Amino acid sequence: MTGQGPARRRRASRLHPVRVAVLTLFCLVLSGTAGAAAYFFPVVVAGVGQTGQTVVVPPSRSPGVQATPAPSAAPGTPFTVLLLGSDDDGKNQSPLTQSMILIRVEPATKHVTMLSIPRDLWVPLSTGGSAKIDAAYAYGGAAAAIATVERNFHVHIDEYAWVGLKGLIKLIDRLGGVDLLVTNPVLDDAYPDDIDTKFLYGYKRVAVLPGFQHLDGSHALQYVRSRHNDINGDFGRSARQQQVLLAIKAKASTLNVADLPDIVDTLKGNFKTSMGLDRIRNLLGVATAFDLANVKQVVLYACPSGCYTSYDHGAAYGGQSVVIPHWSMVLAVTKANFP
Amino acid sequence: MILRRIAAILFLPVMLAFGSGVYLYLGTLKSKVVQSRPVLPIATKPKFVLPGTMFVVQEGRLFKLEAGSFTEIGPGGDWSQPTLTPDHTRLVAVMRSGFSSDLYLLDLGGHVLKRLTKNDSRYIDLNHWAFYPRISPDGANVVYSFDSPKTNGVDLSVWSMPLNGAQSQARRLTDPYYYTGGDISPIPLAGGGLLFVRHSIDPSTAVHSRIYYQSRALAIAKPLTTEADDCSQAALSPDGTQLAMVCSHGKQTAALEVAPFTGTALGPPRVLLDGGLYASPAWSPDGKALAYFAPQGQAGHFQLWWLPLAVTPTPSPSVAPTPTPASAPVQVTEGVDLSATSPPAWY
Repeated sequence: MTGQGPARRRRASRLHPVRVAVLTLFCLVLSGTAGAAAYFFPVVVAGVGQTGQTVVVPPSRSPGVQATPAPSAAPGTPFTVLLLGSDDDGKNQSPLTQSMILIRVEPATKHVTMLSIPRDLWVPLSTGGSAKIDAAYAYGGAAAAIATVERNFHVHIDEYAWVGLKGLIKLIDRLGGVDLLVTNPVLDDAYPDDIDTKFLYGYKRVAVLPGFQHLDGSHALQYVRSRHNDINGDFGRSARQQQVLLAIKAKASTLNVADLPDIVDTLKGNFKTSMGLDRIRNLLGVATAFDLANVKQVVLYACPSGCYTSYDHGAAYGGQSVVIPHWSMVLAVTKANFP
Repeated sequence: MILRRIAAILFLPVMLAFGSGVYLYLGTLKSKVVQSRPVLPIATKPKFVLPGTMFVVQEGRLFKLEAGSFTEIGPGGDWSQPTLTPDHTRLVAVMRSGFSSDLYLLDLGGHVLKRLTKNDSRYIDLNHWAFYPRISPDGANVVYSFDSPKTNGVDLSVWSMPLNGAQSQARRLTDPYYYTGGDISPIPLAGGGLLFVRHSIDPSTAVHSRIYYQSRALAIAKPLTTEADDCSQAALSPDGTQLAMVCSHGKQTAALEVAPFTGTALGPPRVLLDGGLYASPAWSPDGKALAYFAPQGQAGHFQLWWLPLAVTPTPSPSVAPTPTPASAPVQVTEGVDLSATSPPAWY
């Protein structure tokens, strides 16, 4: 009998209501955390697989230009992102970049500057030789694209982000479309018919009519990708790409953290970046806070005189139609906007 | 001991339910704007009853708005840009098909009476676009934008053909700037003149839209608005004395403006609304109000809006009255996604 007394007391103390309450609370927190972890699991997977891509930028061979391995910018300081957009339709194992946009973000002032780089610009590549700048990514991936832009434009790039065309369509559709002003009829008799089709080299006719309108992903892509009937060629297309980028930003500002799994699922396989989750979170914070009035858009235009670049073609360029940069003018623009 | 095990076993479903509840709750926190999906007009009830009858388009389908309710008209297909004949007995609308678009004559119930153009071809380069049909005030001709000739890129010119004739009788009225997209939105005038929107590119390569007047076919066109104004989507009032238009002034938002129109020239414009995404204004049958499209909130889908106008008498008899908004715009539809590039046809 004397031995049963302490045992009964121990049992009673284990079942004390406070202990039961604490244990219950712990179990609920544990199960709630498990539920949240399951919800954000795709984000974690993408965070591991698609963000924080390591790129090793080869050292600069141009005197006076420093190519620095990304990432290097400290949190809160201005940083520059090279946004790359390209085919991901399987036409080429190493796709050309159809879009190259330098974006400088100043978190403190919430200012953003965007500079579109013409894809046909004839430049020395970081991988050797000269070619259109859109080939840099095809020859050496993101590292070559970054190094080529850094060396030719004398800018420092902290991060890069790559989006495939299908990813752009899916992202815009996931956002429920974008609103923008189509400035003039965009008519193209030779628009690439290479999305969700077996024959990747076909063409089709497209017509995007002018005016304010709501565009879904495929029509927005037609608007940013068409260039055959634009007197500004790729330069006009660059301006439209920036326009759609801002429209996406405007729509994305309505997102919250609970939308992340859907967005990640949408961009699966169509998005890569050197940015880590911390930098992406900072960038999203800036994106939701900055005003369109604080966005400066810069496009390098081609015109006969007094402009930054000019067209040329011929045997010296492999018979290709290329854009020859007037570097003194180009560098003045980049220096002013990307100090 | 057994009691604790039973309690633990009974608590497991509670944990599972709580974890699932957290998962589901997080799902409810998703952006409502992004989740917002439009519905067809026939599934909605307009918040305001407009006078008369109006034809609008959503997702390639034609809808009639009459006495405060929508009905769908027309056969299947990718329809857009309906316009009325002057006697309000028939419609002409655009139907896209493959790589081309054609004009069709329909009755007000949406039944096809006649195919006016045949622009499709098995050879991709021989396909054509026809857009922006308008019927001349005498009802004899349909005036429209057509991408021919295609010798210098694909640009739209304004063409005219007899409503009861054949496409082979069509003749070109305007000569656009090449590689700009061309001339669109024609409005045939009673005196034989023509209003239309022409696109141009300035020396800095910025794209502009201007409203032009042209007295006859292929005559030199006179700009009625400046490049800096970037005006387009003109709509002539029923009495022909006022022109409503959307002017973006080089920005990504626009102003809805109305200017007196003498028949060949525009007076000073009055801004009715500014800073929005306004599209495709149309005059009410009595000329005392405008309907137009603009997005609803952040969701972005374009809704129908109604803006009553007050006519302010002006001292000069030579200048038409200047309208000013009598009240704030009234949202007519909610939750739909009307085609902002298809102006309402209203009588």
